[in-house]
Amino acid sequence: MAHQTPLGSSASHVSCLDLWREKNDQLVRQAKVAQDSSLPLRRQQLAQDALEGLRGLLCSLQGLPATVSVLPLELTVICNFITLRANLARGFTEDLAQDIQQGLERVLETQGQLEARLEHELWGLWDAALRVSSLLPELLPALHHLAGLQAALWLTTNRFGDLTLLLQTLTVSQSSASEDMLLLLKSWRPPTEESDAPLTLQNAQGLRDVLLTAFACRQGQPACPVGLSKLTLWSLPKALSLCPRSLLVQVYTALGTCLRKMGSPQRALLYLVAALKEGSTWGPPLLEASRLYQQLGNIAAEIESLELLVEALSITRIPEAHQLLIEVELLLPRPDPASPLHCGTQSQAKYLLASRCLQTGRAADAAEHYLDLLALLLDGSEPKFSPPPCPPGPCVPELFLEAAAALIQAGRAQDALTVCEELLSRTSFLLPKRPRLWEDARRRTKESPHCSPWVSATHLLQGQAWVQLGAQKEAISEYSRCLELLFRATPKDKEQGNQDASYHLLQTLRRLDRRDEATALWRRLEAQTELPQENTAWSLPLYLETCLGWICPPDRETLREEFQTSGDL
Amino acid sequence: MADPRPRVEYLAGFCYPLGGLAAGKPRVLCHGAEIFLSTGRELVYVYDREGRLLIAVYKFPGQVWHLELLALHKVLYVLCAQSGIYCLSLDQTTRSVSRDKEDGGDDQDSDDGQVGEPPVPVIHVDPESCVLPDASLHAFTVLDDALITLALGPTQWKMQLFERPSPGEDPRPRGQIGEVDLSTCTPPAESQGASAAPCFLPVLCCASPPGSRTPLGHSWSSEGVMLEGALFGLLFGADAALLESPVVLCGLPDGQLCCVIIKTLVTSTSALGDPKALVKILHHLEEPVVFIGALRTEPLAEEVEDIHCDCLVALGHHGRTLAIKASWDEAGHLVPELREYSLPGPVLCAACDRSSHVYHSTSTGLCVVDLAQEGSPLDPTESDGAPGSLPPLLYPDNLGICSLVTLCVSSSVPEGGAELLALSAKGRLMICRLDPHDEAPQPSRVTSAKAGQKIKQLLSGIGTVSERVSSLKKAVDQRDKALTCLNEVMNVSCALLSSREGPRPISCTISTTWSRLQLQDVLVATCLLENSSGFSLDRGWALCIQVLRSSQALDLDSAGSAVTYTIPVDQLGPGGRREVTLPLGPGEDGALDLPVTVSCALFYSLREVVGRALTPRDPFKDPPSAECTPIVLPEQDGVCLPLSEHTVDMLQGLRFPSLGVPYTQALGPARDPIHTFLGTCRVPGSQPAGPESLRAKYLPPSVATIKVSAELLRAALGDSHAGVSLGCATLQWLLAENAATDIVKAQALSSVQGVAPDGTDVHLIIREVAVTDLCPAGPVQAVEIQVESSSLANLCRAHHAIVGRLQRLVVEQAARGSSPPDLRLQYLHQMQANHEMLLREVQTLRDRLCTEDEASSCATAQRLLQVYRRLRSPSLLLL
Repeated sequence: MAHQTPLGSSASHVSCLDLWREKNDQLVRQAKVAQDSSLPLRRQQLAQDALEGLRGLLCSLQGLPATVSVLPLELTVICNFITLRANLARGFTEDLAQDIQQGLERVLETQGQLEARLEHELWGLWDAALRVSSLLPELLPALHHLAGLQAALWLTTNRFGDLTLLLQTLTVSQSSASEDMLLLLKSWRPPTEESDAPLTLQNAQGLRDVLLTAFACRQGQPACPVGLSKLTLWSLPKALSLCPRSLLVQVYTALGTCLRKMGSPQRALLYLVAALKEGSTWGPPLLEASRLYQQLGNIAAEIESLELLVEALSITRIPEAHQLLIEVELLLPRPDPASPLHCGTQSQAKYLLASRCLQTGRAADAAEHYLDLLALLLDGSEPKFSPPPCPPGPCVPELFLEAAAALIQAGRAQDALTVCEELLSRTSFLLPKRPRLWEDARRRTKESPHCSPWVSATHLLQGQAWVQLGAQKEAISEYSRCLELLFRATPKDKEQGNQDASYHLLQTLRRLDRRDEATALWRRLEAQTELPQENTAWSLPLYLETCLGWICPPDRETLREEFQTSGDL
Repeated sequence: MADPRPRVEYLAGFCYPLGGLAAGKPRVLCHGAEIFLSTGRELVYVYDREGRLLIAVYKFPGQVWHLELLALHKVLYVLCAQSGIYCLSLDQTTRSVSRDKEDGGDDQDSDDGQVGEPPVPVIHVDPESCVLPDASLHAFTVLDDALITLALGPTQWKMQLFERPSPGEDPRPRGQIGEVDLSTCTPPAESQGASAAPCFLPVLCCASPPGSRTPLGHSWSSEGVMLEGALFGLLFGADAALLESPVVLCGLPDGQLCCVIIKTLVTSTSALGDPKALVKILHHLEEPVVFIGALRTEPLAEEVEDIHCDCLVALGHHGRTLAIKASWDEAGHLVPELREYSLPGPVLCAACDRSSHVYHSTSTGLCVVDLAQEGSPLDPTESDGAPGSLPPLLYPDNLGICSLVTLCVSSSVPEGGAELLALSAKGRLMICRLDPHDEAPQPSRVTSAKAGQKIKQLLSGIGTVSERVSSLKKAVDQRDKALTCLNEVMNVSCALLSSREGPRPISCTISTTWSRLQLQDVLVATCLLENSSGFSLDRGWALCIQVLRSSQALDLDSAGSAVTYTIPVDQLGPGGRREVTLPLGPGEDGALDLPVTVSCALFYSLREVVGRALTPRDPFKDPPSAECTPIVLPEQDGVCLPLSEHTVDMLQGLRFPSLGVPYTQALGPARDPIHTFLGTCRVPGSQPAGPESLRAKYLPPSVATIKVSAELLRAALGDSHAGVSLGCATLQWLLAENAATDIVKAQALSSVQGVAPDGTDVHLIIREVAVTDLCPAGPVQAVEIQVESSSLANLCRAHHAIVGRLQRLVVEQAARGSSPPDLRLQYLHQMQANHEMLLREVQTLRDRLCTEDEASSCATAQRLLQVYRRLRSPSLLLL
């Protein structure tokens, strides 16, 4: 039902509208001042105040019956409110959808079509509101702006069906109906606002460009692992022109990843160089470069890339202040840790560097890097350098073990022993409180899962270190401790790598001429080998793999033969 | 054994905590002699315990949700709703300086309700001291150099780690170190209105490993705890233990209890932390977590500086309590010992002391439970677990202080005792001291008195359970019954509402008669409720009779007053009838203003039948709190089915003493018995006294006439009045609903003298006349109905009644399609013009009446009366 303003009050009504308009313009100006402010706290507060102001203004506008004359302002205020709100919350929330819905209902209210509310979902409201607006051209600019925000909301919540329908309706007069969202977005021409229209934080054209870029990026991202989609290539030039620099780095890096996976390493390299030239964030392209060099087998370049990555991540960068607009990044999901765009933290990079050094046989470098990393972790004064060496990385004890393995590899057995002792002392309270003799332990069927395999591995490495130092007795005691713990573990945990330790113990015992013990161990090992050998494809942790390198596999066979011949003795 | 009663010392009164018992936002912190207190409103008070005075009051722009005190740095952090975290330096000098500054012009908030305190100026907190503006923050905690916040994101709780800002620092970019989303479930749907305060806030607690290099100086006043190594490693894993990293425990309003290792909460700018790797869910309480703390259940071997807690405790709002301890199995392996208890709820707040006690406050009292295994030191056979394990049951000891909304275990306690700082729901700050000598600190022996008490408690517990079962059973029965009733109601409603045409299955007919009640003749309406449907009207149904007296029917300005009588219909089976009579008047003042409209309706009260079943009175249920409000039915909610409506007008209210109708009193309505006596004693022939008789004698009666065409009347009255003259038939028709109709019929009267309810006479005369000039075809036969009465008001009422009947008659006839004869339009025009002229004259006369003085107004009034008389006898004819 149209509410006609009584003639008598028209003068005051106009002035009221002017007041509201002035308030909107003032709040938009305040938000823009906030955006330009160099003081982040001040900026945040100004923006929050502006948001509250807009909320209040919206409340007073919506407290009155909807009229066609006030609606363009009201819709503009809704748009400004949503833009600022999404920006401050760094995302679109469900109640923003309600704000949009209320705006649409107000449009329908002027035409007495509110029954549409009950019958349809949000999409139905849009359909009805856009049909109404064809009769009320003065509403069109604001309604298109609101439609842009709705599109952004649906884009972030992956409601592409609704989004396509909306865009088709918006562009219906301009082009033939199409299913292709990029084409639809491209052909959507939001009507230009009048020069005397109320101020907006972002106009509808700008919003459309952002949507176009964001959609192109979203489409490109999942296509990356598979290969470059034509669309991504097609839309890139368009997207790039509007991209903020940080996003540009992401796009170039993603292209690099795609090309690497498609087998074009040289082209991929070109894109990575372009990404690095863009500046601000070097992490992802450097990490991607190291992967590329690893694939090419260029170890020196790979290690160098990783070293650069560690350096790049050590620079604490003040995050750029967000613009108080709907930006492309706001519409894209944050890269998850599995994504190639995720470069992790400095300590993660440091770990990658150290482990690659260990894997490629650069033991001395690896040892240094591991020691650096441990210092970084255990120095509590600077919490910002602490790592999440979480999956896919190893847990912290494994890090200690890898460090010890690297030190042994590098011939620094004493340091390796120190690392192992540190590990055991720090976790001492987690170890079994009342150690029993293994005969007792073997009788138990129910075993605690808290006796972790890495505890026995620590003893293994300690044994190895003693061997290196020539202290055979200490080595034996460590190896026995290792075995004791291993045999207490469930059969499932008795893996190939641990058997290697057993053989190593066997060899040492034999060399020491402790025949009885050696024979006993041999019998037990024989019994074990009769167990079904499964899971042979199981890959060892890096620290055990390193150990395995020290024990030559033929050792086992010769040992077995020797024992089989001498076992009856 | 002496009953341990706490010594309660009242310190000061503050304004009522906002939101009362359910809010859970007030805070009390204590540092030395200074007490920091917020009641959930905008103010933070600083109170000096020794001097017993209020030192300072800080006013924040919004509700204060949380306080954290960093005693080492003398800094108070305050979370203000919808605004962010503020940082106040507690330096004495700055405070006095800023107070001096404010002293001059600042106004004193008068309604803060400080009782007996010297007025302290309210210091408005500078917006510049907001160190973390974020409207979505719901909780925070401070740990050494880190600030950990919990914000409500669009769909999730988000934990963020910042470098701890200090007061007075230049607002420079605060380094955010890490960020991780906590739970994927949607937070309570209160995100709509940003101003709506949530019912429950998340709870944060920092747990440090033993020997961490930075001692938690604020360990007891704030929410940090130091855990013993085994428990720490067991709960948070080897990573946390190896890194010697503090851990943030977080209890969410949905009941989730999770933890984040602070040192791993480091994220790069490009990506959020991975919740799967960073957040570990420890437990789910399935009710809002209101408290997380830790305590020492086993006595310490030697006196140590830092107490390493060996038991983690979490309390849910409804009393579900979780305790976790580390213990060793037979093989010597570390295993968690986890127990859930159910304490009386709803829990308003809770605290742990230095020993093994957990204090928690409910609306019925402050309770204390002891988590140390009872009896184990002396009698190991009694305990069912290994020594030092958690007790299988907890026995809450009610200390009898009701409705404390926030608790704080004071750090300056004499050894062995406990001292609690508490704020009650009424805003009273108090100290509760638990004397170590009254209360056995180590309940080492189960005394017979105590055992007896335990047995008594158990028995009473069994009693309450059986009581509860029977009350629940009763509630179910009640609901069944209510559903059956509702079904019946639906049937009746459908039957009534679907039969629009024809006789209704349940009807109510209304008739009127004069009868004598207590020395007074009263017009009585009789409503006859007939149930000819197949359903019975059971309890819960009521017959509502509304009597609308158009007492001011002649006074158009005011609406009539309505009286509604509600009569319960107690069982009316199919075919049953119920008669209800009610007096219509005249009332005390002797007046009966006709017409009176009587309308009947059936009403079924949902509240009475359904409402009771929906909210069974359960004495064991919590007092209704915010989240479990009973379904409230409005007072008048029910089903209303209109039955019939009847208008009692003057023609029904007339009595006819001249016809021999029993009419005992000469002048109807209530009279003073003395008057009656005098009246009967009057000498025959003497003049009756009183204004009525005088008026009757000297004023000619007012007259009004209505002419109706004979043809119309004949057609309308039909055959029922055949054999009598049209005049008689018309009179019979007019008085059809009057009790005298039979006599009128029998005597074939065409005029009758009646008495109005107020005793004045009303004369009805019916004549047959011929109207000339109207029709070109010749004179038209007509019936003239003349009403005479000495009372103008009664004349009008009678006239109104007659016109009403005629109107209905004309409408009915028009529906039958009878066509009027040819008319001379010019004549009609002439008559209409005459009338309009008369009406105009009335208008001018009335206008003049308002302005004139008394003398000339008399003449005008005379003239007005004449005009009115002419208007009452129109020459118009109803055709």
